[in-house]
Amino acid sequence: MTPRDLVEPSGDDTEFVFFSGKGGVGKSTVSCATATWLADNDYETLLVTTDPAPNLSDIFDQGIGHEVTEIEGIQNLSAIEIDPDTAAEEYRQETIEPMRQLLDDEEIQTVEEQLNSPCVEEIAAFDNFVDFMESPEYDVVVFDTAPTGHTIRLMELPTDWNAELEKGGSTCIGPAASMEDKKVQYERAIDTLQDTEQTTFAFVGKPEDSSIDEIERSAGDLAELGIESQLLILNGYLPESVCEDPFFAGKREDEQAVIERAHEEFDADATATYPLQPGEITGLDLLSDVAGVLYDGAEATVDVGSATDIETDQSVDVEALADPASIADRVTPSDDETRYLFFTGKGGVGKSTIAATSATKIAEAGYETLVVTTDPAAHLEDIFGEPVGHDPTSVSQANLDAARIDQEKALEEYRTQVLDHVTKMYEDKEDTEIDVDAAIANVEEELESPCAEEMAALEKFVSYFQEDGYDVVVFDTAPTGHTLRLLELPSDWKGFMDLGSLTKGAAPAKGDQYDEVIETMQDPERSSFAFVMYPEYTPMMEAYRAAEDLNDQVGIETAFVVANYLLPEEYGDNAFFANRRAQQENYLGEIKDRFETPMMLVPLRRDEPIGLEELSAFGDEITGLFEISKEEVTIQ
Amino acid sequence: MMELTLYEEAMCCSTGVCGPDPDDELVEVSAALDQLEDEFDVEVSRANMQHDIDQFLETQQIADLVDEHGTSILPILVLDDEVIATSEYLSYDELAAELRETQNAPQEA
Repeated sequence: MTPRDLVEPSGDDTEFVFFSGKGGVGKSTVSCATATWLADNDYETLLVTTDPAPNLSDIFDQGIGHEVTEIEGIQNLSAIEIDPDTAAEEYRQETIEPMRQLLDDEEIQTVEEQLNSPCVEEIAAFDNFVDFMESPEYDVVVFDTAPTGHTIRLMELPTDWNAELEKGGSTCIGPAASMEDKKVQYERAIDTLQDTEQTTFAFVGKPEDSSIDEIERSAGDLAELGIESQLLILNGYLPESVCEDPFFAGKREDEQAVIERAHEEFDADATATYPLQPGEITGLDLLSDVAGVLYDGAEATVDVGSATDIETDQSVDVEALADPASIADRVTPSDDETRYLFFTGKGGVGKSTIAATSATKIAEAGYETLVVTTDPAAHLEDIFGEPVGHDPTSVSQANLDAARIDQEKALEEYRTQVLDHVTKMYEDKEDTEIDVDAAIANVEEELESPCAEEMAALEKFVSYFQEDGYDVVVFDTAPTGHTLRLLELPSDWKGFMDLGSLTKGAAPAKGDQYDEVIETMQDPERSSFAFVMYPEYTPMMEAYRAAEDLNDQVGIETAFVVANYLLPEEYGDNAFFANRRAQQENYLGEIKDRFETPMMLVPLRRDEPIGLEELSAFGDEITGLFEISKEEVTIQ
Repeated sequence: MMELTLYEEAMCCSTGVCGPDPDDELVEVSAALDQLEDEFDVEVSRANMQHDIDQFLETQQIADLVDEHGTSILPILVLDDEVIATSEYLSYDELAAELRETQNAPQEA
């Protein structure tokens, strides 16, 4: 099978091509190139993006938006950008409208709050998506889907829904009755997704181990749903001709090894690669270059020579962006209260390394420090070069402990806790004829949900807030605004139910505990949320959206941003890297404008730092971390 | 076949196992309803305001009650068109007693 066989319609039925992968790997580029190529080959083509920060308009140099729009200058090609926020809002309003007859404004507001859930956003997005799965007027529909985890959940939902609908109950996601009407449509959508003749699932990734690992995980999830991943595209490898020094030659070698590994390990019908370009891929010429490489077996054109047209007046003074003193302040305790430091951002942006490096430097400065990871790949162990367990364990560095949240264990703990609680509840009731075993079995079944998994992780997470004796606790991940909203929800719920003067025997203890956690997170003197990204369009937009969510939903402000993988000045002395560097600088300026926070600048390294010595040395190159070691530490 | 309908407030899931700690009351209610369906000739349905607003609006007596008292009247439990409880859930024992009574009552023509 060639990539071409996979994306071309194989019969009279409409072909669906899905590109999956996390933000910043070039999914939009590949989708646009594919759609353009199909249109050029006389297939009536529709390109659908559900990316929350779509950049189709930049790529085609034309406004697109929420309606199907014909692309100028390309016959047979139309595109639409589905904004998930707009879709969710429409869905919310549709749901609420009929309630206005019965409820007053205050009650409506409470319902609106409740509908402000990830659940509702997922369903709204999915609804839109299913609409386009019945598009007989097109030969091919190309989906530039939302990032991986998201996509998977979208895929998983329909199966769950059907199970839910068969039980006849109401669901978490919508009015059961109206869902009934859609059941047939959803079932057809799932059938289509599982049909390899009609549907192609393609993954786009970078030539990095973490990228391949994530794709393998996602492909595994899809496989469980009976969906085969057929095409793997690795985008953005360093072209040989521009790697003229050991630093980049070495990086290129690593990338080629990863590509090799992907070819061997990944069970796809076809794989393809495309090199890094000196600038961003926009305009029809570059798109057709991409498509030519992917589908016609052409050689990639890397225009190294003309890469010197850098607009110098736009370049940004990088040094001036950094603010070491502010960063140092925000990663250390103020007064004698524990500082909670969260590094958050999408997978592959280097959170774990930055968290471990920061923790090392903070501990070196004399603060009692705990670093906690929730990374399922247990990356922290590799970084420290020492075992890290479910409970805090000390590593060789003085004052430094590390812990890894084991999701499975956390889930088990949560299950046990809930079941114990329910069992006890029934024990306390005497004169009941209720079948306790059946009731408990019922709850057990309910615990087999993604919701329970999220709760379990959160429970464990909260437990680290109770760890005593640390001056600083560093998390290599943070709950999202959505997740934290869940923490607040129960009390809202109870508030709502209290309107009904219910005498509810719900335990308030836990609610208080969560309130305290959220209060701590909202306090800039005690908590710092840092968004990690690399200075490119999609990673920046994703981080920005997540930061906005955190602020809107739970009132947590971003303390600082971390700009990772900055190209070093001392290597890559040619036009190609000069152009890449200028591009990074422009985005650094844009990040500064958007976030308006201090910036922690982190250079690209030849290799990941391993072990305390390397971490410590690396820390000296990072804004703010070098500075804390010079501070006088008087705590203890 | 008897019909038991619960009109409930807007909530995400009626099982109570959703969120950081389970909602005891909803857990009990769900279990009780399951068991009653097995033991009696009754069909139980649950309508919550978020998902099944139509059912609230189309059932005149429910729409009137909510309109007059606001959502504080919820949950409303209706057994064969007769309101058997408002503003509170009934326990398994109470529900079983209601069902027994209705079952044994002489059939109206």
